[in-house]
Amino acid sequence: MAKIIVVTSGKGGVGKTTSSAAIGAGLALRGYKTVVIDFDVGLRNLDMIMGCERRVVFDFINVIQGDAKLKQALIKDKRLENLFVLPTSQTRDKDALSLEGVEQVLNELKEEFDYIVCDSPAGIERGAHLAMYFADEAIVVTNPEVSSVRDSDRVLGLLQSKTRHAEEGVEVKTHLLLTRYDKDRVARGEMLNVEDVLEILAIPLIGIIPESQTVLKASNIGMPVVLDEKSAAGKAYEDAVARLDGEEREMRYDGEEKPGFFQRLLGKTG
Amino acid sequence: MNSLTSDTTAADPVATVKPFQIRGRFFTAVALRLAGNADQDFYKALDAELMRMPHFFDHAPFVIDLGEVGAALKGEALTQMIEALKRRKLSVFGVQNGTPEQTEIAKRAGLLPLPGGRDAPLDRVETQRREAERMVAERKAKSGAAAAEEAPPPAAKPSAVIVTEPVRSGQKIYADRGDLVVVSSVSNGAELVAAGNIHVYGTLRGRALAGVNGDTSARIFCQSLDADLVAVAGLYLTYDDYAREHLKKPVQVFLENDKLRVDALK
Repeated sequence: MAKIIVVTSGKGGVGKTTSSAAIGAGLALRGYKTVVIDFDVGLRNLDMIMGCERRVVFDFINVIQGDAKLKQALIKDKRLENLFVLPTSQTRDKDALSLEGVEQVLNELKEEFDYIVCDSPAGIERGAHLAMYFADEAIVVTNPEVSSVRDSDRVLGLLQSKTRHAEEGVEVKTHLLLTRYDKDRVARGEMLNVEDVLEILAIPLIGIIPESQTVLKASNIGMPVVLDEKSAAGKAYEDAVARLDGEEREMRYDGEEKPGFFQRLLGKTG
Repeated sequence: MNSLTSDTTAADPVATVKPFQIRGRFFTAVALRLAGNADQDFYKALDAELMRMPHFFDHAPFVIDLGEVGAALKGEALTQMIEALKRRKLSVFGVQNGTPEQTEIAKRAGLLPLPGGRDAPLDRVETQRREAERMVAERKAKSGAAAAEEAPPPAAKPSAVIVTEPVRSGQKIYADRGDLVVVSSVSNGAELVAAGNIHVYGTLRGRALAGVNGDTSARIFCQSLDADLVAVAGLYLTYDDYAREHLKKPVQVFLENDKLRVDALK
């Protein structure tokens, strides 16, 4: 049975799309047939970051409106055989998404895929709501700064009240992905540390992605950063995906092995 | 229900650009028509009515109608009654049909003496009442995850609302009959509202309003005070008002001599 995972945050610019691409690619690398869907109708980015921008013919909205078949809109990744992208429309807006339409597309994808990763737009309006509505699990992407943490907190509240699982009384499993983590700025007190963020959000940590030039470079050439095995960020995403898959891995950041301290933290919140 | 009219109309039309405009405007006010003296039974009945519809009278302008009591209501009792109504968060602003002596006392207490007014049709009262009830229902629905937990059975007994999950930014938890207990933390931007006491067994970062129906004996307790705002029966303190030594410490907040007080829990 396919698992639907929403990558969301509330705040913009924290790394949702980068994380969606990396997690999708990471799951595909582990042998799962995975599709990443772009819910950011009108501000389509996922296809760029995944390097399939020029191969978009039909999109998610065409499928919802019955103008194209799902098979026609799905784009197969050139590097990973198990990875697919369902791009969105750049010319339409969020109103083109309907609850019934989204449900129908997801049901059809469930037949074929192991994982469905929904890349949510920023905000808490229609696009974000529909991206999270059918989710089984959620990855909340947060930067170690107050406004991002506040917005993530808001989104966590919505995940437990405005999703189908919540309406049926089932809890949506949530994971915290801390991105753009700058060790030096945390040490200087310019950014929140991991404990502060975990104390406020009170959900299990799935990974810490260090602030890194390679993330930007990877985005610019349309390569999911997880495929860059040498970079610290790539490794951190690989770890996060392994944890998502139920594997236990020691928490490290900046590519270094961290002592048992973070593990203890994980154990406490997990 | 009485309608109040104001007969003022727009002034001199020659000056076309003015920093303000004066217009006559109609408002609907709630008239409290006293049938007898303001004794214990009167307060009991009033409190029962306020309990029954806690939000119906929120921000409603109130007028005291003394037409039926006549001179039976003595000056001191009237002063006490005005105070008592204000303590119950009723926005009393006017008095009608009193004796000259009563009117004078009311004026001294800051009320306006008002002429007659007309009773509004009952259906209008009903519409407003239904509107108030709808708003309450909506507020409940909006409070998210805890909505199911907070719908109390229509029992007369006060019942506590217990929340075991973190209260997230943007969520509002409403305990309109009794206490509210949160066995977790309350985030910035979240709001707790209770007719009774509020207990937070975690960090209180959001807003907590206890005794919202006017219960001045209500208190707020928390394990760690980091709240945007705390209020009891309408009196509030914000983050900058707390003594620094109380921050992030277990405290209780309560009213004493009409002042809100924060005490460390030892």
